[in-house]
Amino acid sequence: MSGRAGPAPRWLRPALALGLGLLALALVLAAQRDVGIARDETVYMGHGSKYARWWLDLVGGKDGTLSEQTITAHWGGRGMTDNNREHPPLMKTLFGLSELVLHDELGVAGEVTAYRAPTAAMFALLVVVVFLWASRLRGLAVGVIAALLTLCLPRAFFHAGLACFDAPIATLWVATLWAYWRGLSSRRWAVAAGVVWGLALATKHNAFLLPFAIAPHFVWVALRHHLPATGRSAGGAARALGRGLREHWPLVASLVVLGPLVLVALWPWLWFDTVAHLRDWLRFHLDHVHYNFEYLGRNWNAPPFPWHVALVTTLLTVPAATLAAAAVGAAVWRREGRAAAAAGRRDDGAAGVLLVLSVVVAMGPFFLGSTPIFGAEKHWAAAIPSLCIAAAVGVVWAARRAAAAARAHAPGLATRAAVARGLEPAAVAVVGLAIVGAAAIETGHAQPRALTHYNAIAGGAPGGADLGMNRQFWGEAARGVLPFLRTRAPAAGAPARPVYSHDASPAWGLYVRDRLLPPTLRDSGREEAGVASSQLALVVHERHFNRHDYMIWAAYRTVRPVFVLRVDGVPVVTVYERPATGR
Amino acid sequence: MKKLFLGLAPALALVAIAAWSTCRVVGAGAGVPDDRAWAAAAAVRAQHRPGDLIVFAPGWVDPVGRLHLGDLIPLEMAGRQDADRYGVIWELAVRGARAPETAGLRPGWQRGFAGVSVRRFERTPVEVVADLVEVAAAGPGRLRVGGQVARGPQVVLAEVGFTPRRCVQVVPAPGREIEVTFPAVTLGRELVGGVGLADVFTRRDVRTPIELVVRVGEQEVARARAGVDDGWVRWRGATTPGTADVTVVARALGGARARDRLVCFAAEARR
Repeated sequence: MSGRAGPAPRWLRPALALGLGLLALALVLAAQRDVGIARDETVYMGHGSKYARWWLDLVGGKDGTLSEQTITAHWGGRGMTDNNREHPPLMKTLFGLSELVLHDELGVAGEVTAYRAPTAAMFALLVVVVFLWASRLRGLAVGVIAALLTLCLPRAFFHAGLACFDAPIATLWVATLWAYWRGLSSRRWAVAAGVVWGLALATKHNAFLLPFAIAPHFVWVALRHHLPATGRSAGGAARALGRGLREHWPLVASLVVLGPLVLVALWPWLWFDTVAHLRDWLRFHLDHVHYNFEYLGRNWNAPPFPWHVALVTTLLTVPAATLAAAAVGAAVWRREGRAAAAAGRRDDGAAGVLLVLSVVVAMGPFFLGSTPIFGAEKHWAAAIPSLCIAAAVGVVWAARRAAAAARAHAPGLATRAAVARGLEPAAVAVVGLAIVGAAAIETGHAQPRALTHYNAIAGGAPGGADLGMNRQFWGEAARGVLPFLRTRAPAAGAPARPVYSHDASPAWGLYVRDRLLPPTLRDSGREEAGVASSQLALVVHERHFNRHDYMIWAAYRTVRPVFVLRVDGVPVVTVYERPATGR
Repeated sequence: MKKLFLGLAPALALVAIAAWSTCRVVGAGAGVPDDRAWAAAAAVRAQHRPGDLIVFAPGWVDPVGRLHLGDLIPLEMAGRQDADRYGVIWELAVRGARAPETAGLRPGWQRGFAGVSVRRFERTPVEVVADLVEVAAAGPGRLRVGGQVARGPQVVLAEVGFTPRRCVQVVPAPGREIEVTFPAVTLGRELVGGVGLADVFTRRDVRTPIELVVRVGEQEVARARAGVDDGWVRWRGATTPGTADVTVVARALGGARARDRLVCFAAEARR
């Protein structure tokens, strides 16, 4: 199914892929400039620079780089979080290299932008992969719309601008599935699948879930292809699976061997005591502390968590128009698949099943009630491109149906060749523009405080607040009060005014280096001591952070703030100033 | 015509949903009053009298309310054990919300200010004859403390159930109890209070509950239990008017693992 207006020129598909990728990269890099520095980013930036320097030392032949002692000093240590060894290194290493090249060497990007560029590039790659996969399945129109809907996800777009792992793992998750799917019919892609899975493993531990999507799909494909020959019995099924494994042994070998090898190759901490270090990494995440997170009016920090978190949060954060189109597209796809099966035709159902498995496996752990729910949609972001592809299918189906109805109602249209040719593309353009436009406007509206954003079903940011949904995390929103704080900076020569910077404390130095704050508004420190020595104080609003308000009230002897940063009227950061008599 | 409509319907529906969702998201902020509306509503300060309680609804708009009227909210009022002692309550609300403090009350006066609804409620307040938090704040040395104490007692403004509570905070040794005796307290017909576990992080890390027992002289008048998700638990007990020692026993349930139980309690003797 490659479009109905005749075959497209060969250059068009790669050109569109390139254009979509560059568009995504440019938009994310531009938008992230107004996004505050997330708490975790500061950790990844620092360690990324350290990792990058180690690789440069290795390439430069520096003595002792490969010694266990030097590797441990850069990549590991005795503590569970020493040198951030609880997270694999691929993206951190890229953050560090990017900063070295784009900022330190070439000077073409600011420090923070340079650190964040690899994530933006990864997100651009996701847009490209979605385009390539969807267009291969259902034609260029579906590909373009799916890619644009992936680009226009308010929360995903936000995470694409952070030096963190959530956007990259979503990319590598989808890319692994794509490469695997291509690998079912191509040896080159079979090899690529293992490599890409290895990159995913080297990005975030979510990648360990991918076999739970791939294995059932592989079994399904093997049975579908070989069961008619082997017979519908347990023995026949086993023989069918065996035939599938023999048929696709390069793909299986690539995933089983190359994937882990790539992980180990990219992570020097695994170059010795490999099993112990792998065990420590996974144990950290199996025993992960339950951060506080607000969901439907309640603060959650201990299991059992509500089973519906992934479902409800997705329904409230993905643009409503995209969700509606996805529902249409999923129904259409399923109906077409059934019709094709009934007619004995091969269809793209295998890809549809894989995309559904991607959603099920990415979201599945959150239905168990034991998986920490902090981070919300970013932890199952890999599931969402499946929705975008389904949405594009729905858009194109609805548009073609409308065009067909118009042609049938006005037969005169069909006799005019130019009109007949243009009717369907025009309908696709109108419906596509409406759905993509809605998602784009929503995404633009949500930035730069997209963690506060909720969709039309919720009623926007205020609706999300009414529902008691989490408003933000990582202290990123503090970026929005920096202009106000600058108005409270001491005059030249006057003593510094320490600021209780709350959750933005780890980012404070970077804000000062980036000249967003004068050095005279220095960070006063943490908790009660920080509040006690401060002249200004800010509270980043999450439900469990209310206690910071109360600490400040008690120290400043007032409950009255001097500034409240709002998103569509919803408070996200409050600033207090110590009254002249408050100390 | 029916065929045409059925053919166009999915596309029209998607376009309509796209238009609706765009308007609803982009226009969401217009449904929340801005600072000009709040500044107009804050004109009620002319009618406000010291001791009138001010509350905001919904809870998430509280910082904006305090930005405009926070100077009329003393710490003691912000960290109140409940609203019973306030005869006049001013409620400033947006988006049709109501504050829990005004539930069941009918406003004697109300007016809208560009989306901010201001309501004045008046009722007969309870008469407080003694406030144990004030007693502890005024003379901590007068309290008699027994049992196995890890920390306290001290008067703090604590977070209990994500709300501010000005309270007496005690921390029993793990799995043990503390007795705090308030000597010669003036009593009315009832003793009313609240108790809860302060600090979200110790509540997360240690999941054991606490129990509070309140005695007047040797007689138990109230008992309450508060778990990590119970927030501020209210309790009350009947008393005989006069003067007597009031003893509050705070117990960390759950044995040795019941560490860092920051027990936060407040109580008022009411006529």
